[in-house]
Amino acid sequence: MGFESQRLIIDAIIPYLSPPVGRIIRTVEPQQLKRLEEIRLRNGQPLFLKIGEQELAVNKQGELVKDLRHAYIVQGEDIYRTILAISDNSLYAFEEEIRRGFITIPGGHRVGLAGQAVMESGQIKTIKDFSSVSLRIARQVKGCSEPLLEHIYRQQRCPASTLFLSAPRCGKTTILRDLTRNIAEGSRWGPPCTVSVIDERSELGGTYRGQVQMDLGCRTDVLDGCPKAQGMMMAIRALGPQVIVTDEIGRREDVEALQECINAGVAVITSLHARDLEEAQRRPLIRELLSMGVFQTLITLSRRQGPGTVEEIVRWD
Amino acid sequence: MLWLKTVGVAMVIAGCGGGGLMRAGRIDKRVEQIKIARQAMGYLEKEITYLQTPLPLALEHTAALTAPPLKIMFQESARLLLNRQGVSVTEAWAGALARLEQQADLHADDLQILNTAANQLGASGIEQQKQCFLLLQEQLKIQEEKAREKAESERKLWSYGGFILGTTVVLFLL
Repeated sequence: MGFESQRLIIDAIIPYLSPPVGRIIRTVEPQQLKRLEEIRLRNGQPLFLKIGEQELAVNKQGELVKDLRHAYIVQGEDIYRTILAISDNSLYAFEEEIRRGFITIPGGHRVGLAGQAVMESGQIKTIKDFSSVSLRIARQVKGCSEPLLEHIYRQQRCPASTLFLSAPRCGKTTILRDLTRNIAEGSRWGPPCTVSVIDERSELGGTYRGQVQMDLGCRTDVLDGCPKAQGMMMAIRALGPQVIVTDEIGRREDVEALQECINAGVAVITSLHARDLEEAQRRPLIRELLSMGVFQTLITLSRRQGPGTVEEIVRWD
Repeated sequence: MLWLKTVGVAMVIAGCGGGGLMRAGRIDKRVEQIKIARQAMGYLEKEITYLQTPLPLALEHTAALTAPPLKIMFQESARLLLNRQGVSVTEAWAGALARLEQQADLHADDLQILNTAANQLGASGIEQQKQCFLLLQEQLKIQEEKAREKAESERKLWSYGGFILGTTVVLFLL
C-alpha cells in the first residue's frame, strides 16, 4: 500500500506538475509521500503539502519546513505550466470543467482552480489568470466499507437507503466508492446489484474521457458530470438500477429526485456535508428529508482516528 | 582537344542550367508548402474546435493527414507534448519549427507566420481558437498568393537564367 501510494504520486501526479515542483515532490521522503493528500500551489506563496492532519511547506530540497522563509515559493510559471499539463495543453477541451472550477485528471485526482472569474449574463463564463492550483489525490481504499455492509444490508439482502454525514476530508467519497464496488460485485451480505452512480463532480469514478478510473464494480453505470437530480431521473428511466449512489446532496431538486427514486423502489446511498445529525437537521431541507423517512440508515464519519472513522450508525428499521 | 572543349562547355552550361532549374523548383515548392501548411491548419482547427481533441492528439492526427515536409512540424510538436516532460506548446512548436526550417523551402517570413500560432494554440476557449485559426489561415493565404506571384516572375528567370549564365561563362572563357 505504501509503495503503491508512492508510485501513484510519482507516476500519476508528478507529470502534471511544473518541472521544478515535480522535482521537489519527487525528493519528499517516501514515508510522507504515501500520506500525501493534497498539493497546493499559490502564486508567490510557499508550496504546501497536506499530509494527514498537517499542512506543511516544503523547501527546494523536498524537506518539510515549518519556517516559511525557507519554503519553495511558487512562481507564476509553475502555475502556468501545471495548468497546461493538467489540461493537456488544451484549455479549449476543458471549458466546462474550468467553469465549474476543477479538472479531473487520469486516476480521478481532482485539480481545483482559482483565478479571475470572467462573467457573462451573470454566469461564470470561464476563469483566467489562474492564481492557485490545488491537487487533491484520490485513493481507492478497497475494503474500507466492509465493516459497514452489515448495517446497510437488511433481511431481504438488499442494500437500504443510506445517508453518510461528515465534514469535508473525512473519507465520505472513498467509502461511497468502495461501497459501490461491494454492492455491484456482491458480498456475503447480499447478491450483486445493478448500481447507477451519479457523479456530478467526477469524484466517485474519476472518469477521464469516458473511462472510469476507479474500480466501481462490474455492474455499475456512471453518469459522469451529470447534475444529481437530472441524473437520478435519467438513471431510473434508462438504466434500471437497484441502487443509486451519489455524493453530496443538498439542493431542493436533489431531495425531490431522491423521493422519486425511493417511490420507484430504488435504494439511494448518498452523502451530506454535516458534522453530525444535529448539524444536518439545522438545515430545513435536510430536516424535511429526514422526517420523510427516506433513509433507513445514517452513518456519521469523522477523522478522529484517521479518515473514515465511524462515529455513529443510526438505523431506522 | 575539340572534344574536350565541347565536354567542358556542355558541363558548364548543364551545371549552371541545372542549378537554375533547381532554384526554380524550390520556388514552386515553397508555394506548395505554404498551401499544405494552410490546409493542415484547417485540419487542426477542425480537430480543436469541432472534435475538441486534446492538442497533442490533434497534432498527431494532423500530421497523419499532412504531406512532408510539413508533416514533421505536427509530428515533432505532438511528440514533444506527449513526452510529458513539462514542455509547453510554445516550446514544442518552436522546436518543431526549427526542424521544419532545416527540411522545408519556406522563407523566414513564412515561418514567422507559423510561429504566431505558438502562443495561441490550446491556450484559450473554442471561440478564441477559431479566431486564431481564421487569422492564421488568412495570413497563410495572403502569403501563398504573394509567393505564387513571386514564383511566376522568378521561375522563368531562374529556369532560363542558369543556362544564360552558363552560356555567358562559356563565351567569356572562350
